[in-house]
Amino acid sequence: MIPVPDLNLLVLLPIALVAIGSMVILMGEILLSRADTVLGREVTESFIGTVLAATAIFFLALTLYTSVVSFAAGGVQVFNPDHPMYQLDPFSSLVTAVVALSALLSCALSIAYLSELRINHGEYYALIMLSASGMMLMVAAVDLIAVFLGLELMSIPIYVLAGFDRRKLRSNESALKYFLIGSFASAILLYGMALLYGVSGGTSFDAIRAGFEVENPIAVVGLGLVVVGFAFKISMVPFHQWTPDVYEGAPSAVTAFMSVTVKVAAFAALIRLLAMAFGPLDESLENIFWVLSVLTIVVGNVMAIIQENVKRMLAYSSIAHSGYLMIGLVTGTIQGYSAMLFYLIAYTFMNLGAFGVVVALANRGNDCERIASFAGLARTRPGLSALMVLFMLSLAGIPGTAGFMGKFQIFMAAVNSGEIWLLIIGVLMSVVSVYYYLRIPVLMYMKEPGDESHRMEISSGEGAVLVFCALAVIALGLFPNSVPTLLFGDLDVLNWTRRSVEMFFGG
Amino acid sequence: MTVEAILFYVFGILAVVSALGMVLNIRNTVASAMSLVVTMVSLGAIYLLLEAYLVAVIQIMVYGGAIVVLFLFVVMLLNLSTDEFPPGKQRVAKLAVVIVGVAILAQVLVALGQAPLLVAQPEAVPEGFGGYRQLGLSLYTDYVLLVEMVSLLLLAAIVGALILAKRKID
Repeated sequence: MIPVPDLNLLVLLPIALVAIGSMVILMGEILLSRADTVLGREVTESFIGTVLAATAIFFLALTLYTSVVSFAAGGVQVFNPDHPMYQLDPFSSLVTAVVALSALLSCALSIAYLSELRINHGEYYALIMLSASGMMLMVAAVDLIAVFLGLELMSIPIYVLAGFDRRKLRSNESALKYFLIGSFASAILLYGMALLYGVSGGTSFDAIRAGFEVENPIAVVGLGLVVVGFAFKISMVPFHQWTPDVYEGAPSAVTAFMSVTVKVAAFAALIRLLAMAFGPLDESLENIFWVLSVLTIVVGNVMAIIQENVKRMLAYSSIAHSGYLMIGLVTGTIQGYSAMLFYLIAYTFMNLGAFGVVVALANRGNDCERIASFAGLARTRPGLSALMVLFMLSLAGIPGTAGFMGKFQIFMAAVNSGEIWLLIIGVLMSVVSVYYYLRIPVLMYMKEPGDESHRMEISSGEGAVLVFCALAVIALGLFPNSVPTLLFGDLDVLNWTRRSVEMFFGG
Repeated sequence: MTVEAILFYVFGILAVVSALGMVLNIRNTVASAMSLVVTMVSLGAIYLLLEAYLVAVIQIMVYGGAIVVLFLFVVMLLNLSTDEFPPGKQRVAKLAVVIVGVAILAQVLVALGQAPLLVAQPEAVPEGFGGYRQLGLSLYTDYVLLVEMVSLLLLAAIVGALILAKRKID
């Protein structure tokens, strides 16, 4: 007799909706491309693309709704209580919601851009959703195998998306580079997981927690290799070299998607793994994170100064932001993790916005990538220029924006755990970052326009995404705690990101 | 020394030697891939000695068969000749690879010497452990979610391969 496990199928709702959505899109593409007219409209390639993008947005919105409901309800739900793999709790449902929202915004941002390039195919949206389902598995996993599978399911669609514009050599190079580096990172991660399995005799976070000892060198090597595997995905120095090349070569809309979602998902999974399987971290490990954090902040900010290409500049800026985020890992406190979560959400909106402006300026696939091409943009595109200024101010961490609130919370966490030097280095390098972020506004408002041919009209999808990101950046900057209170009504969410990480500390 | 121990050492040494042969045979990629087959089959034999029959069969079928065939296909498609590896640069790269490899090996050996691999005492293995029935049962009960996720992963890989290789782009 085969024992039937007692499965809690409803827990899978967010991930299942995304997976079903991706299959609906793949099937829909085939059906639509065989029809001549649908509801009296002639079926063209860009019509198919737009319909399928709308389908993707619909399913992602459903996912967003279910995960927000699960976050508001609180509590911990496990898919299979006998053998937990996937666990929906305040932390994972909040991160799932963020992933769904940023995938949704990326889809809306991509429609016009892909149509211009004449590659507005349904597979694009299906791959984005498959990647999102991998992220959702990874951030809700309580078992190393699930973490690894989630990471692969997240990465493989993104390798393909980076090379989606097959006619461009740069896009191909970007895909191949990301694929090779990513495969090595996966192999390293898997080796580390195998060693952890060897010392603890189990793959679940609980088993590893029981079997892990800092005195055991094999266990430490295993943990180190796992951290290195994640370090590639979050572009931690010295594992960052791929980032600028891949961000530059990939189509801008893809860069927008991967620069935010991969970072959010990988950081969230790393927090979860460290807190649930190893926390509280040993002091020697915190020292390693300290060194890596300082290196990442300094290298990211210094290299960003000398960039002449806006996508490369944003790539180095994203490395620098990884460095600030790692301050939270160094502290390892509830405040540090809560600040990281807030910072990741703030980063999602401001970075998606900044890349969104680059996407909205791209003219027939000629990405306006040179920073010099922003000269005099305020005359011709005043609205886009104003939004770009806001996103740059937020990335630089100017008060009143989400970026400032994020940095403020991270630095407060550092001070409260006595990391004064991290605070000093972080603040100094933030000052340095103002130089390269404000170069673009200065060029836009104080220089004469060059002979660049920007796209002169903005699609409704791009406009909606940019305005949404701008509102989110301002709202999170001015009222960081009241936004979720507004969303969830009279729910008692004084500090919502804190509420998510409390579970790691027995809350 | 028992027969099993002798067989273990024979296959263990064979696995290590052919693994080295795979790495050192940079100029002849086909010979390199064939060395990999020997490594995989030796590992399969070691699994047999451990009475893990299913793992041994899967090892030989998947790694020795499918994956090496894939490698050979890639080698043939790319049709690499020795001219494409300039000797000067290769020497520096080789040296660096050897140094890093030896350093990591030494580190792992030292770590292994200091600590037993398994801290927790393993429980006695139940009857039929590692057989088809046990594997199937645990795949479709404990790991059912992951089986489904693997199918999504394969879907993503197939869609991706089709886009990169076959999608018509004007």
